[in-house]
Amino acid sequence: MTVMAAPFDSVLIANRGEIALRIQRACRGLGLRTIAVHSDADCDAIYVRQADQALCIGPAAPGRSYLNQAAILFAAEVSGAQAIHPGYGFLSENAGFADRVAAAGLTFIGPSAECIRTMGDKVAAKRAMRAAGVPCVPGPDSSLPDDAAAVRALAREIGYPVIVKAAGGGGGRGMRVVQGESELLDALSLTREEARRAFGNPEVYIEKFLLHPRHVEIQVLADSHGNAVWLGSRDCSLQRRHQKVLEEAPAPGIDSALIATVGERCAQACRQIGYCGVGTFEFLYENGAFYFIEMNTRLQVEHPVTEMTAGIDIVQQQLRVARGERLAVEQSDIACRGHALECRINAENPDTFAPSPGLIGDWVMPGGFGVRVDTHAGAGYRVPPYYDSMIAKLIVHGTTRDDALVRMRAALDEMRIGGIATNLPLHRQIVRDPEFAGGGVDIHHLERWLARRAPA
Amino acid sequence: MDLQQIKTFIDAMASSDLAEMEVSRDGWTLRLVRRAVAGAPPAPVRAAGLQKAATGGTLPAPAPEVAARNNDVRAPLYGVVHLQPSPGEPPFVVAGASVKAGQTLCVIEAMKVFNEVRAERDGTVESLLVKSGQEVEAGQALLRFA
Repeated sequence: MTVMAAPFDSVLIANRGEIALRIQRACRGLGLRTIAVHSDADCDAIYVRQADQALCIGPAAPGRSYLNQAAILFAAEVSGAQAIHPGYGFLSENAGFADRVAAAGLTFIGPSAECIRTMGDKVAAKRAMRAAGVPCVPGPDSSLPDDAAAVRALAREIGYPVIVKAAGGGGGRGMRVVQGESELLDALSLTREEARRAFGNPEVYIEKFLLHPRHVEIQVLADSHGNAVWLGSRDCSLQRRHQKVLEEAPAPGIDSALIATVGERCAQACRQIGYCGVGTFEFLYENGAFYFIEMNTRLQVEHPVTEMTAGIDIVQQQLRVARGERLAVEQSDIACRGHALECRINAENPDTFAPSPGLIGDWVMPGGFGVRVDTHAGAGYRVPPYYDSMIAKLIVHGTTRDDALVRMRAALDEMRIGGIATNLPLHRQIVRDPEFAGGGVDIHHLERWLARRAPA
Repeated sequence: MDLQQIKTFIDAMASSDLAEMEVSRDGWTLRLVRRAVAGAPPAPVRAAGLQKAATGGTLPAPAPEVAARNNDVRAPLYGVVHLQPSPGEPPFVVAGASVKAGQTLCVIEAMKVFNEVRAERDGTVESLLVKSGQEVEAGQALLRFA
């Protein structure tokens, strides 16, 4: 199936929070009419007030509003929207929804349902990536057989420790590390059962478990005419419980020729599978080698760091290719200038990580050269308890990584949010951590650092 | 006497069967009184007196607020209250149920995190003051012990 790109001039934004505002801004820049759909809890949001048209699609609970496909499609029909932007999270990687949008004669701003489906199945994704020459984690690109002896032989061939993963999982869910053969079969049946219940798919596969990898990803952009480029690398190794906390571009300390090789393979994979839109190839990086783990077939939270270093408005480009335009840039036009950092500001206790929804009092945002804040919140905004805790993204750009770090420290010190607890104090500490400042920490660094941190 | 010390005395009393306790220290006097657990609590004299003066003694005096406050379980944070573990399952507690200290009374959901609200002492649930799925403010009374 090919992507049906059509030159729409109105976009329904099926999301909320900072990304709804980010998409609205991109639409406005292209002269597109915006339709905001929102839950009862978000009726006063700034992007709802600023939209050309706003429609309430249900109660606060996400299952009855932002995940309610029928309500969103009905809102598109009554508002005359010609395209739907799913943002991130919610319905953004739901192939069934992409199908329904297309069946309604509208443009889904994202890749085809077929691409979403392939990448959503982690085994199928790995197979497709191997076929396209993208380096993958050692281990077969097929789900595990039922025969215990065959499974044991596979694990022995890969070498322990191994990791058992659910084909329907992703984003850190549905996986189990196995240190030795005695644990293998128990881990296998547990993961299978969890996967069956959580993802409705009991298929599992097995990979080499890397001990100290970094999380490095490649941003891609592809049109519906067979063109694809990669826009740079990002390092998102600072994570807590598989949630990214701080991201940067480019990934520090990695040979740019190696990144270019991997980036070109990613762009080639897009051409090969007929991918259209923006996307991210996520890799583990260890001992100078890249290992593909999964592809996100949507816009990502951390896209701004790549925008800052590539000088490209990724969301506008996403809208343009969805309208059927050809890419206006070639790979040779794309360069990485300077360094960018992004701190995810969450409404949560910086020590206990307990969520902290509620009314915002004080609201002082940093500014100046190279400082960007993407947020839908402000003084007097009430952070609702129904959704994600992220309320703002603070992004800085500098000529070097050190320059960006200095700028981020100053910006974090300037920033003040009152009335609710936020993780600002945590970020202020992280950007002063000598190991992080040195660059290239692994995905376990933040959790180790938190464990070591003296109790407040 | 600081808040921490007062809390210590409250905890000590809650874990005992004492009905009344008075502590004097550094010029401070703290008096803790446990209300009767079953049936209507005897109204404190002063509160009842005020009530009478305000209403002219013609209306039945409602449960004094002072007593009710002590028996209320309050929301530890702003969020959405759930009175049952998941839709379709029986509620954690119902009015009239006797509960043990540490038992889950309800859950408050905030940003995909579920915070259990547990009973601080043994007792009987007199009434639930909120509906499942409702937004509750931090400090809002959720249910009342008899």
